Amino acid sequence: MTAGRALPITVRGLVRRYGKVAALDGVDLDVAQGEFLTLLGPSGSGKTTLLMIMAGFTRPDAGSVKFGNVEMVRTPPHKRNLGVVFQSYALFPHMDVAANVAFPLTLRGVGGAERERRVKQALEQVQLGALGGRRVDQLSGGQRQRVALARAIVFEPGILLMDEPLSALDKKLREQMQIELRHLHRSLGTTVIYVTHDQREALTLSDRIAVIDQGQIQQIDTPQRLYEEPASHFVADFIGDSTFVPVTVAGGVARWRDVPLRLPTAPRDGAYLLVLRPEKLVLGGAPDLNGIDAEVAEIVYQGDSVRVDVRLAGGDIVTLRELARAGRIAALPPPGSIVRLGFDPADTLLVPAP
Amino acid sequence: MTAEAVADRLNAAGIRADARREKSALAALTAPSFVILGLMLFIPVGWLFWLSFIEDGAFSLENYTRMVVEPAYRSIFLTTLELSVLVTVLSVLLGYPVAYMIAMLPPRAASITLTLVLVPFWTAILVRTYAWLVLLQRRGVVNSVLMSWGIIDEPLQLVHNFTGTAIGMLHIMIPFLVLPLYANMRAIDRDYVRAAASLGASPVTAFFKVYLPLSIPGLAAGTVMVFIICLGFYITPQFLGGGRVTTISMKIQQNVATYFNWGAASSLGVVLFLSTILIFWGFSRLFPLRRITEVGGS
Amino acid sequence: MRMFSTFRAALLLSIAAALPAAAQTTITFASFGGAYQAAQRKALLDPIEKALNITIKEDTLTGIADVRAQVGAKAVKWDVADLGGVSCARGAAEGLFEPLDYSVIKTDGIDKAMASKDWIGVIYYSTVIAYNTQKYGNNGPQSWADFWDTKKFPGTRSLGRGAAETFEIALMADGVDPQKLYPLDVDRALKSLEKIKKNVVAWWASGAQSAQLLKDGEADMVAIWNGRAGAVIKDGAKATINYNQGIFNIDCLVIPKGAKNAALAQKVIAMMVSPELQANIPALIDYGPINSKAFDTGKIPEAAKASINSSPVNAAKQTNMNFDYWRENLNKLTERMDAFLQQ
Repeated sequence: MTAGRALPITVRGLVRRYGKVAALDGVDLDVAQGEFLTLLGPSGSGKTTLLMIMAGFTRPDAGSVKFGNVEMVRTPPHKRNLGVVFQSYALFPHMDVAANVAFPLTLRGVGGAERERRVKQALEQVQLGALGGRRVDQLSGGQRQRVALARAIVFEPGILLMDEPLSALDKKLREQMQIELRHLHRSLGTTVIYVTHDQREALTLSDRIAVIDQGQIQQIDTPQRLYEEPASHFVADFIGDSTFVPVTVAGGVARWRDVPLRLPTAPRDGAYLLVLRPEKLVLGGAPDLNGIDAEVAEIVYQGDSVRVDVRLAGGDIVTLRELARAGRIAALPPPGSIVRLGFDPADTLLVPAP
Repeated sequence: MTAEAVADRLNAAGIRADARREKSALAALTAPSFVILGLMLFIPVGWLFWLSFIEDGAFSLENYTRMVVEPAYRSIFLTTLELSVLVTVLSVLLGYPVAYMIAMLPPRAASITLTLVLVPFWTAILVRTYAWLVLLQRRGVVNSVLMSWGIIDEPLQLVHNFTGTAIGMLHIMIPFLVLPLYANMRAIDRDYVRAAASLGASPVTAFFKVYLPLSIPGLAAGTVMVFIICLGFYITPQFLGGGRVTTISMKIQQNVATYFNWGAASSLGVVLFLSTILIFWGFSRLFPLRRITEVGGS
Repeated sequence: MRMFSTFRAALLLSIAAALPAAAQTTITFASFGGAYQAAQRKALLDPIEKALNITIKEDTLTGIADVRAQVGAKAVKWDVADLGGVSCARGAAEGLFEPLDYSVIKTDGIDKAMASKDWIGVIYYSTVIAYNTQKYGNNGPQSWADFWDTKKFPGTRSLGRGAAETFEIALMADGVDPQKLYPLDVDRALKSLEKIKKNVVAWWASGAQSAQLLKDGEADMVAIWNGRAGAVIKDGAKATINYNQGIFNIDCLVIPKGAKNAALAQKVIAMMVSPELQANIPALIDYGPINSKAFDTGKIPEAAKASINSSPVNAAKQTNMNFDYWRENLNKLTERMDAFLQQ
């Protein structure tokens, strides 16, 4: 089953207000044909509203939503030909698995052997080939997830919308499903809009991620660029476990307190925040690294790694992570020690102070 | 290890005693209601059942053969059944949209509307029945308005007959249908209908293929409740039926006065009771309650 | 008036003197409750308590089945019970009552038909024609034949849905002599009812309903209990009562078999039906004294007599219900009536 007619999506000037609060405040978005785009943001950011408007379940106050070249903003949901996977799965409890999957086909007048074949194929695609006769309440959470997916793709929609589809699963199953979703997306080629508040999931799955906050897209980029080059304090904060310390840039030189920091390229003079991420930091100085002195505050063993919290002059707590390899733990300086915190100039990231 | 061998039984007896105490406390809490139920329901019902087989101090089936021999009983049973079916069907037709609308409203508006639906519950049935008389009788409000508009020349016979009885009962029964149905509908996730729409179902199709089946448990509960209450209805047919509508309950009351004993009345009660159970059983065969509750629950 | 009061006191004293000097005794009286029993309390029980120096406790009942239950269980709580006329006949046939002692109970002024071996009437009520005066002025139906005459008196009717009274009415409407109603010609009665059926707007099932039908003008003429009609007329309804061919029915008093104070109960009943106390009734409730001598006590104003159903002038127009006939036939005829209504 391939979706040869995967469609691009164009969103322009989308506004949706709830009373005085703008859930969406003029959103523009271009999604390429066959792209996996994730809408990422905290709860209440507007990401679900955006998805619901695309699906046709919520009316915007103004704006345009085009699938391909066709304006859809006033089209009722049942005429949009979208696959939608819901957070609750929304499997019909009064139908068995096969009937759930066959539902969109029946509505499209597909019957008999053809319908049976396509239901079977869709269930095989989500690795549930044998479960067609099960009742919905006999399925595990993961299986329900797959049935919901099979039902959303069986009629080969050009666009698949997914609203936090994995949030009800436990961690292990979630990670497994993420991999499967990637594979499925590759084999179907459908355009996918995926909503989540889980940054790791977004990073794992997406071609691009749109970070949404306060009804606006804050940044839209590939996962790597989003992580490595966040455009704002919000994006840097929302993605990754970052600590921020204030720095100033004056005369092309960035300084934390009096300590000069080397940068790949110096920004314009002004107030900035230095983004310190645990995996970018090492204990101990080196000539080719930027270095800041700090006092070890606490060491926490976490199995795969050890979290080391250090306190900078001025009181900011910064976290770094040491992989728990042989000898490393024993070699860590005890709390109270003064250490040098090192980080590569290429990893030295500034974002404008808010 | 000999002393320690008992260690896995440490406090075992005490823990078991705690569990027992909890159970008996629970039993003690429920006992009064069981006793009251037993005394207030089963004993009188059993006594009436026994009385229905007694005539002049001896065992007799007279109270039952009468129902077969006398032609009035057949039509009374039929009238009761007809009335109950009609009122139940109309309750569903009128009550379902009301429940649906309330379930779709935002919570605040829903609770206000639900209160409005329940307002009639706060008024005595007799008062409400009389209010229908004021509306429907020959010189009532409806006929006066229709005549003043020139729609009719002669007052319509809207009450003191089957029609009036059905109207009055319908009004009383609708809340009994709306309440369980609303509770059920409120619990139906909106995602189901959205999912159906996203899969290509028009609003009408989504309603009949998805929403309606999911609301069947509430509908079944409401329907059974309305139907069974209708079977035992007394005041409304008595007051609005104009003597042309005799229900089983009315006949029960009448038989007490006519036969000067409880037996003639309780035999009818027994038959009504058994037919109610039979209907309920038939209904549960049609709509297996277990499956219904499972669907509603998931 | 004062003279009569003295006379009354003397009478009561003389009855009291006939009692063995007993200490304060208590007997129990059961009736139908409501306004009716409240009137009985004021008109009858209060004066008796005073005169006999006893206490009369009150209870309520729903009918003969209650008395039968007590007698059957040999646990008789009541000494005097008030029942409907047919119930009294029925209970007497079943042997549920103590015989009344007519050496104690004086029946002067009481219709012989209303004083039986085991029971005696206590009040009269009548089933009469009441009609809407807005519709017919004061020239409404004068007989049941008029009631049936839809040409002369167009308009809607209402009759009771019970067999008793309605069958008698149907026969009188068909020309049967009121004095020769019994045994009822049931087929003829039903045929007669068939003629009026389509003009009957409602077959009433309760006194309250018959009153409502008359009051709201839903029925232009109603076969109705005089008490119910009287109440709505007092309430301002545009209607009037015609006693012609009315049917007398009664409530009656009995002593349940095995009553603990049967001897005293005989004396209490004697006083309850005495003209002096009977004369108290009309002022309190729309029922007529069973004892016609009550109208001679002077306690009932001359002007009031026209509206009391059992006053001599009205009584002459009416006929008695035959309780023994209905005791025998009520159930059979009720089923016939039901079948007729269901058609």
